Amino acid sequence: MSATVVGIVQIDKELCTGCRRCAEVCPVDAIKGEKGEPQTIDTEKCCYCGQCVQVCSAYASIFDEEIAPREQKIAERGLLDSVKEPLFAAYNIGHNREVKKGLADASLFKMVQCAPAVRVAIAEEFGLKLGSLTPGKMAAALRRLGFDRVYDTNFTADLTIMEEGSELIERVTQNGTLPMFTSCCPAWVKYVEQEYPELIPHLSSCKSPQQMAGALFKTYGAKIDNVEPAKVFSVSVMPCTCKKFECDRPELTDSGFKDVDYVITTRELAQLIKDAGIDFKNLPEEDFDKPLGTYTGAGTIFGVTGGVMEAALRTGYELITKEAIPDVKLDFVRGGEGVRKATVKVGDLDLRVAVVSGLKNVRPLMEQVKAGTADFHFMEVMTCPVGCVSGGGQPKVLLPKLKETAYKNRACSTYTHDDNLPLRKSHDNPDVQKLYDEFLVKPLGHESHHLLHTTYTPRR
Amino acid sequence: MNTFVVANPHKCIGCKACEIACAVAHLDNSVATAGALEAPFLPRLNLVRTPMVTMPIQCRQCDDAPCANVCPVNAITHQEDKIIVNTDKCIGCKTCMIACPLGAMDMVPELENCQPVYQEGLQLNIEGQPVKEKIVAHKCDLCVGREGGPACVEVCPASAFVIVKPADMKKAIKNRRAASAAEVACIKKAN
Repeated sequence: MSATVVGIVQIDKELCTGCRRCAEVCPVDAIKGEKGEPQTIDTEKCCYCGQCVQVCSAYASIFDEEIAPREQKIAERGLLDSVKEPLFAAYNIGHNREVKKGLADASLFKMVQCAPAVRVAIAEEFGLKLGSLTPGKMAAALRRLGFDRVYDTNFTADLTIMEEGSELIERVTQNGTLPMFTSCCPAWVKYVEQEYPELIPHLSSCKSPQQMAGALFKTYGAKIDNVEPAKVFSVSVMPCTCKKFECDRPELTDSGFKDVDYVITTRELAQLIKDAGIDFKNLPEEDFDKPLGTYTGAGTIFGVTGGVMEAALRTGYELITKEAIPDVKLDFVRGGEGVRKATVKVGDLDLRVAVVSGLKNVRPLMEQVKAGTADFHFMEVMTCPVGCVSGGGQPKVLLPKLKETAYKNRACSTYTHDDNLPLRKSHDNPDVQKLYDEFLVKPLGHESHHLLHTTYTPRR
Repeated sequence: MNTFVVANPHKCIGCKACEIACAVAHLDNSVATAGALEAPFLPRLNLVRTPMVTMPIQCRQCDDAPCANVCPVNAITHQEDKIIVNTDKCIGCKTCMIACPLGAMDMVPELENCQPVYQEGLQLNIEGQPVKEKIVAHKCDLCVGREGGPACVEVCPASAFVIVKPADMKKAIKNRRAASAAEVACIKKAN
């Protein structure tokens, strides 16, 4: 593990007042300290979800003369010198300095991917309404920043459904390990590795969409543009602080290189756009590049809790029954923090599913799985309260009462985006089909297995 | 008698949410997220942390306001039930800051749309560029004009704030007097 990984989420001792509200939201009790004293984070336990970053309200006041200068703090946090916003005690390490350097390097071919939840929140940092949906402006901004290819994590979200859906069907029909757990949320994956290593076989072997995209950028993507894979600079924009930890996992180098070079959060992308002097509000709507930027509604709903489940069911239903799903809108898996269970009739099979949002809620189900009494086949877990839309790297809402509005609006925009997309099922994505035809051959095939699947590390 | 806001040090957890809510409530334009904020927070109350106690301190809206008494340009006035600084008049002389017995007065850069206002007439360098920011007195105004009243009271996760209105004070004093009388009567009886 590299040095940068260990401290991705940190608490500034000079600024922390010891109110312990971060400890209240931490799903793994990783924050230690006395009340009224600066807190510390146990990095062994920390899942890097960044919910502490979102809740922290202790900031560096301009009236406080006893603390280190702002310039020093900005450098320590890996922020750009141009950042004007207030600095809070709980923060994540930024990677914009490295990204800016890469963008300025003419010898590199720059590819970027954006997670589904970024497009429903980034505009907030430019004063637009909470939850404004701006995929086109975001793509335009990334192009103006100097990325040669503006791709999308939503594409690999669709691809994840192809692989994970096939894996679920295989496990259900061939007596595989059940229930199968989703593996898109890196904080959840780290939690399983450290708290329930014996349940690792339940995790889907699929890489997260971020890492699938990373592996494809430096193989298939490089081939399309006829560039050297070693010259591909692979950046991802995520609503999540733990994605920084994920991209540094030593095993995620199946392209022959580090699959994702740097991860920046939604907040960091806004800072990068401001730093470049781009007028985000007045940008035209532009498309993502093809083929690795084509996506369906199923890919975009990965950004909200229940989204992976809903997308998987839309495709799984059709793969199993060979019939069109009666209604793509599966309201029973949608919602907010908590546990939802449902039974879905898929042909002759009664598929029992569980959706968990908020990592705090998962323990009782894990105990059931451990005891062998879990009565479901498939479980989606998202660490953050409403899924990725409320992730630790999302714009930080200053007033608690607006937080609810922000999360509601971001989730609502996600579903609106899905409703308005011409294609709503992952297996209908023409560029995913093309990718299988030209490169991967088939889901769970040899090449897919090599590039899109991974193994996990028991941490206890 | 003026209304004021005061916090209970036994309840305060020292999170500074009140400072942020105060600063946001006084911005010219609505800012929802930290990244959209282009200027530092300028709260009108200040969290004090000592080994003994944690609590925010803000203006008590003194009825014979020492700050107003000493202001050489009459920039501090009484409006309805509060003491207000008129920043247009304020010359930043800091006399009010010295006079305030609570430490509730600050001097801050004056901002318009998150941008500092520069002082006219003061030449800072030989080129005559007006580069000196205007500094003005800054204090709690009980969130005058804000629907829902003072933002600090509304946001506090520990419910540590109390809005003290003259009527409440009168009632409390009356009750306290009654209790004192009863106590004295008891002592007399016992003797």
